[in-house]
Amino acid sequence: MAETILEIRDLYYGYGNGTAALNGVSVDIYEGEKIAVIGSNGAGKSTFFLNMNGVLTPDQGKIGYRGTIVNKKNLKELRKNIGIVFQDADNQIIASTVMAEVGFGPMNLKLPKEEVLKRVEEALTYMNILDYKDRPPHYLSGGEKKRVSIADIIAMKSEIIIFDEPTAGLDPLNAQMLEEVLGKLGSEGKTMLISTHDVDFVYRWAERAIVFCQGRIIADGTPLEIFQNKEILKQANLKQPTMMEVYDLLVEKHLLEDTKAYPVSTQAFKELLGNPYLASRPEKPPEKEKFKVVKI
Amino acid sequence: MSTTIVLKSGHRNGHTHGDGISHRHHKIGHKHGEGSSIDAYSYASKIRHWNPAFKVSLSMLTLVLSIVLNNPYVSLTVIMAMAYLTIIEGGLSIQAYLSILTIPISFILLGTFTIGIDFSTQPIGQYNLHLGFFYVFTSQASLKLMFFLMLKVFAAISAMEMMTLSTPSSEIISVMQRARVPKLIAELMNLIYRYIFILIDVNIKMRNSANSRLGFCDIKTSWYTFGKIASNILIVAFKKADAYYNAMEARCYDGDLLFLEEVKKVEKVQIAKATAFIIILILLWAFTR
Repeated sequence: MAETILEIRDLYYGYGNGTAALNGVSVDIYEGEKIAVIGSNGAGKSTFFLNMNGVLTPDQGKIGYRGTIVNKKNLKELRKNIGIVFQDADNQIIASTVMAEVGFGPMNLKLPKEEVLKRVEEALTYMNILDYKDRPPHYLSGGEKKRVSIADIIAMKSEIIIFDEPTAGLDPLNAQMLEEVLGKLGSEGKTMLISTHDVDFVYRWAERAIVFCQGRIIADGTPLEIFQNKEILKQANLKQPTMMEVYDLLVEKHLLEDTKAYPVSTQAFKELLGNPYLASRPEKPPEKEKFKVVKI
Repeated sequence: MSTTIVLKSGHRNGHTHGDGISHRHHKIGHKHGEGSSIDAYSYASKIRHWNPAFKVSLSMLTLVLSIVLNNPYVSLTVIMAMAYLTIIEGGLSIQAYLSILTIPISFILLGTFTIGIDFSTQPIGQYNLHLGFFYVFTSQASLKLMFFLMLKVFAAISAMEMMTLSTPSSEIISVMQRARVPKLIAELMNLIYRYIFILIDVNIKMRNSANSRLGFCDIKTSWYTFGKIASNILIVAFKKADAYYNAMEARCYDGDLLFLEEVKKVEKVQIAKATAFIIILILLWAFTR
């Protein structure tokens, strides 16, 4: 079992209007996990993230980072190791050049200037935006700003990276770029939490999904478990990923044998359809028939 | 009318601003929103890589000299030298440069006109013009004074423009910071500079959505919509400030705005040239006094 990074116990947080944004949240986060945080608008996801990073102080409950309880004194350690990429890059970008912006976090960590410069170069190269170094953020496009805001956090070398609805407002090409970056970060063993409304993305990317509903965690498990649980889906106003729906449909029509081996990607689905275990025809179907199956 | 008060940023397409600039000014004369194009010019300038402290101090020194020396030859030299720096070295198009210089022209004309001419009920002065009840009169000496004053003001302005058209605001602010301008002011300037563009964007979006719902169909409605947008922007500004603060805190901000800056070396040749230029100005003044 991987080591625990964060231990969150009984977190309560209210915004002062009476309703609790977080209503007793407990969760453990382990090294290298890829977690999707899902739930409808106002379910408490963003509040949860801000609490995790120490920007908001919970009314009740505690956060343990690597075994030590977070208090006012070691708050900086928590912030240093948990980076948030905010939903709206314009709410995050503060400096007037890309370089100064990406250097803002490392400068606040009071690192020596050479180290800061090195980290900025690395982060910009990582996000493929080294050429934009001297550009001001107000002349960048939405996708470019998103990259800058991710580079911001990469430069801080935090252990956990939180993405608050990263795909919101991105065009398909930039969304794909983002997914590539997530894949790259994942392959380096970074722990990531992503809040999103894109269930298809959760299904293909996440190893673990946490479902928020009215300030509580109502489910915590693999995406497959969660998306099979109709009760939870209904409660959190979620829908099933297309891939699962299509699989179930094929099973229902007796075109596929029900092995519960839900395919994760289109490629895996193709292989599934191509293999000889099709329910209707145990023997390998001729080309024409196979085409028909796909068409349904 | 209320609609003309609003700045229009012409740089919505971000990264292409480098090529966009040259097409925008077909004729001399400024449009609203010139403020943000000056910003874009400064990023596109070919002398942007020069040390900002060098540019700021050269421009300031030239500004002070052209005012203190009060000499038309010095003013002319400054105007030409600064135009050379901005257009030839900086690579700004002549049209764009002239169009920026026309912004202050009405102020200068209004200011100097009253020095050049005078009113009287008697036909006095070297030249006078009878206008019904009174005479407008002037003399060669006062016209000369007016002309020299205009030259002086233009020299001062072109020295400032050389700086603003080649140095992005963030660099100017950091030079000020090193010149011991109070930290609070410098940090505020940094934040305001970044914020202006965000609020302009918000404003454009709100205006467009109001426009699409006939919010500017007549003057009365326009005023009403303008007020609504203004108050809404205030609320958005508060919200954004909150979100900003959160984002800054999340990245370990603890009271000091620290920005990374690139060190731009100042070349000895540049210092030598600048010194020569200043000496020439002073000599010019000494010989034509």
